[in-house]
Amino acid sequence: MNAITQKQTITFDDKVVRQFMWASILWGLVGMLVGVIIAAQLNYHELNLTSWLSFGRLRPLHTNAVIFAFVGNMMFAGIYYSTQRLCKARMASDLLSKIHFWGWQTIIVSAAVTLPLGFTRGQEYAELIWPINIAVALIWVVFAVNFFWTLAKRNEPSLYVALWFYIATIITVAMLYIVNHLSIPTSWTHSYTLFAGVQNALVQWWYGHNAVAFFLTTPILGIMYYFLPKAVDRPVYSYRLSIVHFWSLVFIYIWAGPHHLLNTSLPKWLQMLGMFFSLMLWAPSWGGMLNGLLTLRGAWDKLRTDPVVKFFIAAVTFYGMATFEGPLLSIRAVNALSHYSDWTIGHVHSGALGWNGLMAAGLFYWLTPRLYGTKLHSVPLANLHFWIALFGILLYVAAMWVSGIMQGLMLNSTNAAGTALTYPNFIETLTAIRPMMAFRIIGGSMYLIGMGLMLWNLWMTARSGKAVNETREVTLIDRGSVDTMGIKTTFLADPVTFFFGGLFLFMGWIFLPKGADITALICALIFGFLAVKKFAVAHSTWSNWYERLLENWLPFTLLTFIAVALGGLIQLVPTVMVNRAKNMEDRIQQVYTPLELTGRDLYVSEGCYNCHSQMIRTMLPDVLRYGDYSRLGESIYDHPFQWGSKRTGPDLARVGGKYPNSWHFNHMMDPRSTSVGSNMPSYPHLFTSKFDQKTLPKKIAAMVQLGVPYPIMTDVEIKENAIKQGIAIVENLKVDGLAASPDTQIVAIIAYLQKLGKYDTPEPNEALINRAAVPQLIPGPGNPDKQRPARPVQ
Amino acid sequence: MIHDFSVRSKPLAPTKPTFSMSKDNSTQGPILRPHEYDGIQEYDQKLPNWWLFSWYITMVIFVIAWVAYYQFGMGMADEKEIDTALAKIAEYQKKELELISDDKLWEMSLDPKITAAGAATFQTTCVACHASDLSAHIAGAKLPGLPLNDQEWKHGHAPTQILTIIRKGAPDLTKGMPPWEPQLGLQRVVEVTAFVLSKHQKGEPVTLSADSPLKAVK
Repeated sequence: MNAITQKQTITFDDKVVRQFMWASILWGLVGMLVGVIIAAQLNYHELNLTSWLSFGRLRPLHTNAVIFAFVGNMMFAGIYYSTQRLCKARMASDLLSKIHFWGWQTIIVSAAVTLPLGFTRGQEYAELIWPINIAVALIWVVFAVNFFWTLAKRNEPSLYVALWFYIATIITVAMLYIVNHLSIPTSWTHSYTLFAGVQNALVQWWYGHNAVAFFLTTPILGIMYYFLPKAVDRPVYSYRLSIVHFWSLVFIYIWAGPHHLLNTSLPKWLQMLGMFFSLMLWAPSWGGMLNGLLTLRGAWDKLRTDPVVKFFIAAVTFYGMATFEGPLLSIRAVNALSHYSDWTIGHVHSGALGWNGLMAAGLFYWLTPRLYGTKLHSVPLANLHFWIALFGILLYVAAMWVSGIMQGLMLNSTNAAGTALTYPNFIETLTAIRPMMAFRIIGGSMYLIGMGLMLWNLWMTARSGKAVNETREVTLIDRGSVDTMGIKTTFLADPVTFFFGGLFLFMGWIFLPKGADITALICALIFGFLAVKKFAVAHSTWSNWYERLLENWLPFTLLTFIAVALGGLIQLVPTVMVNRAKNMEDRIQQVYTPLELTGRDLYVSEGCYNCHSQMIRTMLPDVLRYGDYSRLGESIYDHPFQWGSKRTGPDLARVGGKYPNSWHFNHMMDPRSTSVGSNMPSYPHLFTSKFDQKTLPKKIAAMVQLGVPYPIMTDVEIKENAIKQGIAIVENLKVDGLAASPDTQIVAIIAYLQKLGKYDTPEPNEALINRAAVPQLIPGPGNPDKQRPARPVQ
Repeated sequence: MIHDFSVRSKPLAPTKPTFSMSKDNSTQGPILRPHEYDGIQEYDQKLPNWWLFSWYITMVIFVIAWVAYYQFGMGMADEKEIDTALAKIAEYQKKELELISDDKLWEMSLDPKITAAGAATFQTTCVACHASDLSAHIAGAKLPGLPLNDQEWKHGHAPTQILTIIRKGAPDLTKGMPPWEPQLGLQRVVEVTAFVLSKHQKGEPVTLSADSPLKAVK
């Protein structure tokens, strides 16, 4: 291409790759060890040794360690190694690489300290407190600058598919992370999220689901696209498939978040979008699997001899399995059974252990000999790791399937006439799955042992060689030949125009009133047909445009950002922007008193939401077991929402007033005393620790700022109010012969638990009733959502 | 020894790209794209038909389901479904309750099969507050519930009164007894009532407790 070919010898920064790799292995061991411990705690409650080693606090540590420390560091190792080679350039800035590495490890250490201490934001995978959030955002920006700067300095004109996935990862994670962590601090260790109730639920699962998509999937797919063809020495199966599955994956994934909220009080149109986009996501996900598996065509024999290939192929197979299971679990009817059960836990572990864990192992076995200029210490040991890990995962996942399906069936089972629950006692269903919990501990332990073997094997490999940084002669490219695409050529191209046109009509179909919507659908179908016809004629123009796009990193990044931002915008904006009244239905939550708010913060801090939901789904078994189904208005002041995602224990949405104070007192001291066979930890420290009165006025002030209608109170009044309510509870406990001090945490927790499910029925307001059910942008006249009744209380 | 990993062992020769939608390329074998990325080559194979069609099917399902639900009103809103089911249960209970009287419950308390079933439910659901011997005491310590093995009653001693308390809970829920009918179902509640009655004699002397809400009515 270039008339003058200028050559330059460069040395890649492989040191940072080595650092990230060792960090990943070590944190992986820690994270999985914590996983085994909490799995054991579920079956042996005695293992909840102290407050900071209790399940509710360790579980977030486990998830955060595995996601952000193990997979995070692994992703960075893979990205730093492959990006330099795919760009034929050293990372743009060694300083930024160093800041990235050490900054990320500092974040992990601070997370490992704060989470067991009970400092948390109370949203899954978004638990870290706000100062750490800021650090994460800053380090991510450092990573992004370093990465894109390297792209800008590249000596390879065209961007390889691995880089597409890295680009999508970096921009999307930044977007998700920042929006979901917006909060108002009340102290250095505590903050309230900006969103409440349904808004919080939507934003959280938009984030949570896409953390899986863009932290655990896209970067690993990128790594697959680089390291798998390298390992098997075969061309990638299909470039065309890469294009189709990349763009469809990043565009569709974002829409699927609401499938975490199926059958809840989330407006039905969002549930429907979540379900059907999850179904439509199946094929794009399998596109990645196919491109991985079929790349091996003609080299299947390597599967027998090379442990790296074994790990990669098993990982890709697990990816295929998990991405088939995901859409299945997103079907509302299946979800009614699987949600809140161990099935979900099995699903995420086939992703985390199967896809991420085995990819990591394959990557590290491939990298270490090359990073240390030697051969792998022991191939048989790597094979042993493979088999022990594979067997461990299968045991784990199978146990969780059996457990989840069994408990789901038991909880939802009614007698033949449908008039009563078959298993009214929750503990009965817990006792039934106990053996499965034991198998999980064994499966998880086997996987952990495999990780230990890998550490030993790689350590010996490293010791037998010495750290090398690859040096290579590269041909410099003419800067004027790449990155020259303007806005016009980027956006005024047929593929982009057709996409936006189609999306616009599609939106018309979803949002316009009856009559207009079906017209929009017909137009969309005709438009789609036209697009296909156009493509048949002008495909070479389309593919030339795309090849040109690949030589322009900024336009490519812009288009990717638009693709990932759209789904979120369309789903979140209507619900987040409409005022509270419209998100309320016929009930409005009673504002928490200062003591109840304190109790709620303790509930969040102890991680109760890890095992208890506060959302009675619109399903008969839920209603029979826990009471009337939850309404949107009943969590309208909940910063953060506590709808939960797993019921290791029963739902608590309407537990307020169900039992006397003394019951809660005894239950928190020793759950077995009131619920025989319970696996809940005891909470003796709540009985001796005082709750924090000092920050209470600040917390109330933050709540007021967030729009919670508190009456005007001075700081003294707030504290007095709390103590007064505490005294009332203590007096009530005395009647049953129990003694507590009104300023202890247990009193605050009791106050909170007794408030759960308390609501007011707002004045019937004609204008409101006609418009309350769903955001106004959304429904057409025939929309069944509108029939959601604004019922009077009996 | 340091390998130069940037060069693949034997690069495959690229085939001429012919990008076509309509024509089947399979006869010409897979196309190898000319560009190489750090030694990685790419075929440009057609998308597998089964894959493409399963994707189209998921899209068609989306359109059909959405149109059926929002356009033609097929399928019921979840809230309506629940209301229907709850109404059905209420109707069933009403019918069953018409058959139940004080005498009938006393009769049941003598049926060992019914009381055994009631005892089983009692042992899992009620013992936390009323103790397995109905004394509401464990090792001398008072439990939250009221004793059910004495002759003093707070909410009435008549079998149907006891049944109502178990079904609906205490009049003031914050003071204790939650309603058990939704969770247990009417049949189990009746069995538990029969079990409690089996510890009593028909016509035994009874008293109302000092704090009974029934006293004020009298």
